[in-house]
Amino acid sequence: MRKYRVLALALLAGALFSSEAHAQQRRITGRVTATGSGEALANTAVSVVGTTIGTYTADDGSFQLLAPSGDVSLLARRVGFKRTTIAVPAGQEQVSISLERDVLQLEEQVVTGTATTVSSVNAANAVAVVSGEQLNRVPAQTIDNALQGKVAGATITQNNGAPGGGTQIQLRGVSSINASTDPLYVIDGIIVDNSQIANGLTAITQSARQNNPSSQDQRVNRAADLNPNDIESIQILKGPSASSIYGSRGTNGVVVITTKRGRAGKTTFDVAQRFGTAAISNKLDLRCLNTLGDYLDYTGSAGISDTTKRRKALQADTSFFNTYNSGTCHDFQQELYGENPFNYQTVASIRGATQQGTNFFISGLAQHDGGLVRNDFYNKQSLRANLGQQFGSRVNVRVNSELIHSLTQRGVSGNDNTGINPYTTMSLTPSFIELRRRPDGTFPKNPINSVGNNNPFQVAEVVKTPEQVWRLLGSGVGTLSILAQERQTLDLTLSGGVDAYNDNSRIISPASAYVEQVNALPGTIVNGQANVLSATLNGALNHRYTTRLFSATTSTGFRQDRRQNDVLAITGRGVFPGVTNVAASTQVSQVEGQDLVKALSLFAQEEFLTLSERLLLTAGVNSERTSNNGDPHKFYAYPKFSASYRLPWLPPVTDEMKLRVAYGRAGNQPTAGKYTFLTNLIQNGLSGYRASTIVGSPNIRPETASETEGGFDWTLLDGRARVSVTQFKKQVDNLLLQASIAPSTGFSSQWINGGQLSTHGTEIELGATPVQWGHFQWISNTTYASNKTRVTRLPVAPFIPVSGSFGSRFGNAFVQQGQLLTVLQAVNGCTALNSSGTCPAANRILKFMGNAAPDFQMGFSNDLSYGPFRLASLVDWRKGGLGANLTNNYFDGGMLADTAVGNARLREFSKGHAVYVEKTGFVKIREVTLGYDLPAGMTSTMFRGLVSSARLDLSGRNLYTWTRYSGLDPEVSNFGNQALGRFQDVTPYPPSRQFYVTINTTF
Amino acid sequence: MKRLLTFALVAGVAVTACKDNPTAAPIDAPTVDALKNLTKTTLEQLAVGVTAQDRSAFASTGAIVLPEILARDIYRIDASESRYVTETLSGQADPGSFAGGSGFSPFYTGARAANQALIALRTPPANTFTTTQLAAARGFFRTMKAIEFYRVLELRDSIGIPLETDDPYTLTPVYCKPYVLNYIAAQLDSANADLIAAGADSMPFRLPSSWVSHGRNYRKSANMIRFNRGWKGKVDFYRAMLNRNSPDQALLNTAVTELTAALGAAEGAVPSSQFPVGVYYEFAASELLNVLADAKIAANNNFVDSVRFVQKDTVTPAPWDSSDTRYSKIVARSDSATGGLTGNNLTALFTISTATATTANQTNPIPLLKDEELVLLRAQANAELTGGLLKAYLDANSVHRAYSPNDLPAFTTVAIARRYILREKRLSLLLEGPQRLVDLRAYGYLNAAHLVPEFVPPKGTDPFNSVFPLPRGELNARGLTTNPACSAS
Repeated sequence: MRKYRVLALALLAGALFSSEAHAQQRRITGRVTATGSGEALANTAVSVVGTTIGTYTADDGSFQLLAPSGDVSLLARRVGFKRTTIAVPAGQEQVSISLERDVLQLEEQVVTGTATTVSSVNAANAVAVVSGEQLNRVPAQTIDNALQGKVAGATITQNNGAPGGGTQIQLRGVSSINASTDPLYVIDGIIVDNSQIANGLTAITQSARQNNPSSQDQRVNRAADLNPNDIESIQILKGPSASSIYGSRGTNGVVVITTKRGRAGKTTFDVAQRFGTAAISNKLDLRCLNTLGDYLDYTGSAGISDTTKRRKALQADTSFFNTYNSGTCHDFQQELYGENPFNYQTVASIRGATQQGTNFFISGLAQHDGGLVRNDFYNKQSLRANLGQQFGSRVNVRVNSELIHSLTQRGVSGNDNTGINPYTTMSLTPSFIELRRRPDGTFPKNPINSVGNNNPFQVAEVVKTPEQVWRLLGSGVGTLSILAQERQTLDLTLSGGVDAYNDNSRIISPASAYVEQVNALPGTIVNGQANVLSATLNGALNHRYTTRLFSATTSTGFRQDRRQNDVLAITGRGVFPGVTNVAASTQVSQVEGQDLVKALSLFAQEEFLTLSERLLLTAGVNSERTSNNGDPHKFYAYPKFSASYRLPWLPPVTDEMKLRVAYGRAGNQPTAGKYTFLTNLIQNGLSGYRASTIVGSPNIRPETASETEGGFDWTLLDGRARVSVTQFKKQVDNLLLQASIAPSTGFSSQWINGGQLSTHGTEIELGATPVQWGHFQWISNTTYASNKTRVTRLPVAPFIPVSGSFGSRFGNAFVQQGQLLTVLQAVNGCTALNSSGTCPAANRILKFMGNAAPDFQMGFSNDLSYGPFRLASLVDWRKGGLGANLTNNYFDGGMLADTAVGNARLREFSKGHAVYVEKTGFVKIREVTLGYDLPAGMTSTMFRGLVSSARLDLSGRNLYTWTRYSGLDPEVSNFGNQALGRFQDVTPYPPSRQFYVTINTTF
Repeated sequence: MKRLLTFALVAGVAVTACKDNPTAAPIDAPTVDALKNLTKTTLEQLAVGVTAQDRSAFASTGAIVLPEILARDIYRIDASESRYVTETLSGQADPGSFAGGSGFSPFYTGARAANQALIALRTPPANTFTTTQLAAARGFFRTMKAIEFYRVLELRDSIGIPLETDDPYTLTPVYCKPYVLNYIAAQLDSANADLIAAGADSMPFRLPSSWVSHGRNYRKSANMIRFNRGWKGKVDFYRAMLNRNSPDQALLNTAVTELTAALGAAEGAVPSSQFPVGVYYEFAASELLNVLADAKIAANNNFVDSVRFVQKDTVTPAPWDSSDTRYSKIVARSDSATGGLTGNNLTALFTISTATATTANQTNPIPLLKDEELVLLRAQANAELTGGLLKAYLDANSVHRAYSPNDLPAFTTVAIARRYILREKRLSLLLEGPQRLVDLRAYGYLNAAHLVPEFVPPKGTDPFNSVFPLPRGELNARGLTTNPACSAS
């Protein structure tokens, strides 16, 4: 640790005590415009190459700066345009600079440190950048929904199709078994929380056969709260080689979000009004049972060999049919999930700056997304204010804040053991039974006892699952320019912020619900309260020293972060009708979880750009300690090294060729294992404690991920094509594992660090402008990513992860040395069938069925524009992968339209065959947008001159899926929130297509 | 000025960083470190933790259902889980499977819980507990620790079992049954000495109400002594029976003395109203449900006549006393009219009233130790004592008469006494623990010479399993693949 401090102080001293006399100066003035249109480009950075001298253009594109005497070169850069360098001879004082549009996003500023960035032209990592425009081309309920198909190397899965999120991102494979696998979210430099908080649904579904909230509660990760419309850009640091600056939270990659800021120029007032709807995109092909013959065939009573028993069964079945036959073959799926909700989003923002150096971005959002089931919805409102103020030439202060409110009702879906899930009910309810609401407002009682007489239409009406979140994000950044000389600058940046939210989730299942009436204590209430606080404090000193030969950027600083959460869930049973106070229940139980984590990191980094900005060398180290470590005082070092080189001699048609290699190490905080806790037990109402059966370790430390990535970026054909190829190898050591110990000790296992995962992967990005002819332009981007993670060392016996599954007959994850980490293991074979033709448990043969993760993923984005018209599409292709389709198991045995298939599958299942393991590959039309820029004349007429521009978009999301998967959606997972085994399809909320009409106006 | 300002800022940052307190106390749950500073509340929580752990360990499939299957009192017929039969009545238990691994770990967890309390009591905080309170607490925890080991031994018997040390990472040898029984006896005696030292003082903590509400308040040291002596009498009886052909007379006398102390009355003098008195485990939906409320549990069809040993002993089987109200525990299954419960090559037409899947049975208490068992244990001990048949009869008949207007036939031989006492125990303790398995084993009756095989070819072969193996996890930790030879010392 000491050596890093010495290094930091040496760098700082060098910065402070070196000085250079100002050379003789001259004034250069000029104007920057867009190539072709001649549009003035405000906010363009213009700098003198080889110095730290620079400025930004004004509203009219003009600039002026003081340059050294003699010949100089000016570099002009602006987001969305290709950089340009022009020579300015000694005697020239006026320049005109023209910038070409960067349709392929050849140049972005990518994050390299807490307060440092580098141009993607020189970047040594394959950092994915998604602009706000790309993110919001088609409205999405949440940010992670909007990222689907747009980032090479990101596997994005969704719990189910219920409104309001429940989407998880894994970057470059799975990096842990027992610690976190979610990427870190950073917004404007502040770490924000992305927890998934269970809403207690299991209290009524008994999915986990317990009162306490469970991993099967269709949890929503809280990144869903963020408003995608406020985002300027998202940068995805995919692995440790880029994310080591985030230390022990960088293993799983980092999603760095920059929100919009005010900018110089005319104040703009933008309003986007979106209207839309949704429709169920896939249904199971269920059997129509509307004749007695069909019904008897379904029950099988006609086939009973014993005459007496057959007669008795036939009589019962006939009586049942006659009693409940409504005369209609009900399509329960359509009747229940057939809502076409009216959805809307209203997004308004004001953006601008004052002459006094204040810039501002203020935005608001009001959003409503209805579900496919009556009364399900996702409502969100947010208000953001980003303010910046320049004080003189040396101090800049920025304050960002956002208040978010969301209210979600996601209904009931997923695994259940009470019959309350609509698909569970449908799997056993013959379609001749009427379940819809009667004219008097009551609902028929389902005569099927095995589903608790559940009527899903009644559940949709009387069972409430509201989850309300109030969230405040606030941050401030202050930058002090300590030194600003021609050759060097020294800036101090201090930033801090908080992310605080309250998540109040309720389950209200009244005693009037038929499914409650079979309970000993009818009526269930869950009151969940989660209070989460995440606070970050950053400090950084950045020194930049520039000569004609090189530019060196030295940065050092610290980051402190603190996370605290308190999650309380109170479950009440035996509730009076109409009462929602959990305290009024006959029986009350509660569970609470608390967590407090502190971390401090100190870092130092050197970036050295030389050889005419062709060679970039970077070295840095982040040293961090956290309270989760066994020794909270010990610092763990996360170094990084990288190099990129832009080749000076290029083959024909090549504009730019950059070779790059980067190495970095990041960590993953141990989320458990430090302590041997006492476990609470209750007996006769008295509280007791005994030691947990899992022994903690005082030496527990972070998991460590080391990643090396290399590749090249190739720009050719005058910037009309771009190829980026990256290969990476990631190795995760010191895995957090539970090692078994002899049960006669009174314990079952102990936490240890050990083992190793190894991930290899390839990512390719292709961008091209195949056609650029007059007003017609076609921009095409393709991403490809493949990776495989293998368990290369395992110091404990092979095991099924603690995370959920439904057993090996359907398929589970399995961790074994030498195997893929994402392997799906299932029973598939039998040593000998018993006399009844089924496979006894002891004779089942376990096999590895293949990789549950996809072989590769590709995204095809095409953007065609002709004058005011624009057609954009995104197609998502996932090749390979396996899932366990338990939903089919519910319906096999007579309820599917193709009964032969279902019956055969069930027979094979009883013989020990893994019939429910299916391939989950798909091709999905993820997004389509057709846009039209309204002519100025029309705009003026329509909006009486108030609107300067307007655009009309027709768009759709998840429009069509090609797949061999026989379930509702190959992407859904009952256990989407866990590290492994995210491949369980259990009666999910069906997926939907969404359609929108958007009017974008700028005032 | 600029440099001064910079230095000030850097110094401020450095101070902030260096003064950062990196520790975060565990706020979600107490850790074992909390035991270093015992309070009265903590001690109560540890006591409840031990009893609650014992409840979950004992009121379980592994500790009651499986040994009762081995003892041929019940079946559990489950088409989706044939191992209830294939690892008990028709085959060997797999140490890596559910039957082989049952009834082991939870008891050691209970022993660990008691052990940690005892360790904490070695260095009690000053001025929190009196000397007698500490003695009472030690007596309670050590008694519970002994019970946990006894439970494991009931299921492993001749295989032997490991014991537990203070250090969770140190394994003891797998000790043979005599050594373990001696160890348990010593623990119980040590606990008894502590409880005596406690004098009139009560436990310095509350116990769950089921330790208070079934006729005797075991929070009082005097009653905890009775509980302890009851267990000691039980242990000493089986110690005496280690050589069943020549039972240890001294130990039998000791057992009788201890059981008399536990019961507080001589042979035949324990009133029937006292029989249900004892410690029970109670159940509630909010805590734990009784696992015996299980529709797949059935009574062994041969329940009435499977105890063939009476015939093998050439003693004419006594007619069943149809007036015995305990027979009403055996009830026809609700599905008996349609052929009963079939599967796993078995068919069952009857079940046990406490095993039907009713809401009431889900909260039906299970006795941990009740006086009725102690009376019958004393009868067992007296029956093996030279000249003790009359005393044995007095106790056994007193139990019988509690359920029937008829007397038992006189005990004229040890064999007859065993027969009737075992019958009384079976009826009184049915589905309340592994007592019958332990008795069949102790008398050498768990074999084809005394019992009707459940499986005959071609459906299978009855192995007459009497014990479960050491679980695979235990073997793995010891680098073994099969049960090791036990250590005698």
